[in-house]
Amino acid sequence: MSPEALQLERELDQLHPAAFGWALACCAGDRAAAEDALQASYLKILDGRARFDGRASFRTWLFSVVRYTAAGQRRRAVLRRWLPLAFVAATPDGRPDAVTELVRADGTRRLTAALATLPRRQREVLHLVFYQDLTIAEAAEVVGISLGTARTHYERGKAALRKLLKEELE
Amino acid sequence: MTEHDDHDLGERFHALRREDAAAAPALRATLAAARARARAATTPRRRTLALGAAAIVLAGVALALLLARRAVPTDLATVRLKTPTDFLLALPNEDLLRTVPHFITIDSPRRTP
Repeated sequence: MSPEALQLERELDQLHPAAFGWALACCAGDRAAAEDALQASYLKILDGRARFDGRASFRTWLFSVVRYTAAGQRRRAVLRRWLPLAFVAATPDGRPDAVTELVRADGTRRLTAALATLPRRQREVLHLVFYQDLTIAEAAEVVGISLGTARTHYERGKAALRKLLKEELE
Repeated sequence: MTEHDDHDLGERFHALRREDAAAAPALRATLAAARARARAATTPRRRTLALGAAAIVLAGVALALLLARRAVPTDLATVRLKTPTDFLLALPNEDLLRTVPHFITIDSPRRTP
């Protein structure tokens, strides 16, 4: 293996748990779909179909690749559901799978349930800021939106999430 | 929104992160699965693509041959275009307009000079 490939694998190794968490968020908590998206993203990176050009940090770039790949898989899953015999193979339907939800603690289950009701962009920005500890500017870069739009999604999402969590506790 | 609220949300997300990290598959396993999937997908995909392309070409040739054989020269003079809204132009007793009226001749008695 070339030194560049080894270096790439080392960087992926460091970011792997965070990338898995992000893949889960992109696949709305569906573990199988998240693993698929992550595998496909790593393949793209290792065989050179996705190249890091150094414009952003490696982490934000990796998250963009995972997000893009997960979006592609989601589109294909939607198409597959319309094909004949779609019932033969289960396709991800954008909902958290039962096993993942079952092993979650009560607090985190409430959080994931509340997050699932938010619009995708708000969910993504909140995840990137609170879960991945990115700045709003970095989150905007990952999602591919302007800083102002990301800030709006962040504020609206945060307010909606707080409200939902409060309602559930009462 | 206060800073305390943000901190509270951050704590919840960090708990979620800890749970996800504990359940994350190892990188080596993920990479091995990815490579195996790529290997498994490449050959059948190429074969399927080649078969699909061959089937499309064959179907195209067969269709072209069939159409060429069935093609009957059309006499354009006999063709009448009928649109879906033709019925709007239909007039009552329009047949009368298309035929030459037949006049009855009445034999009148001849006058004698």
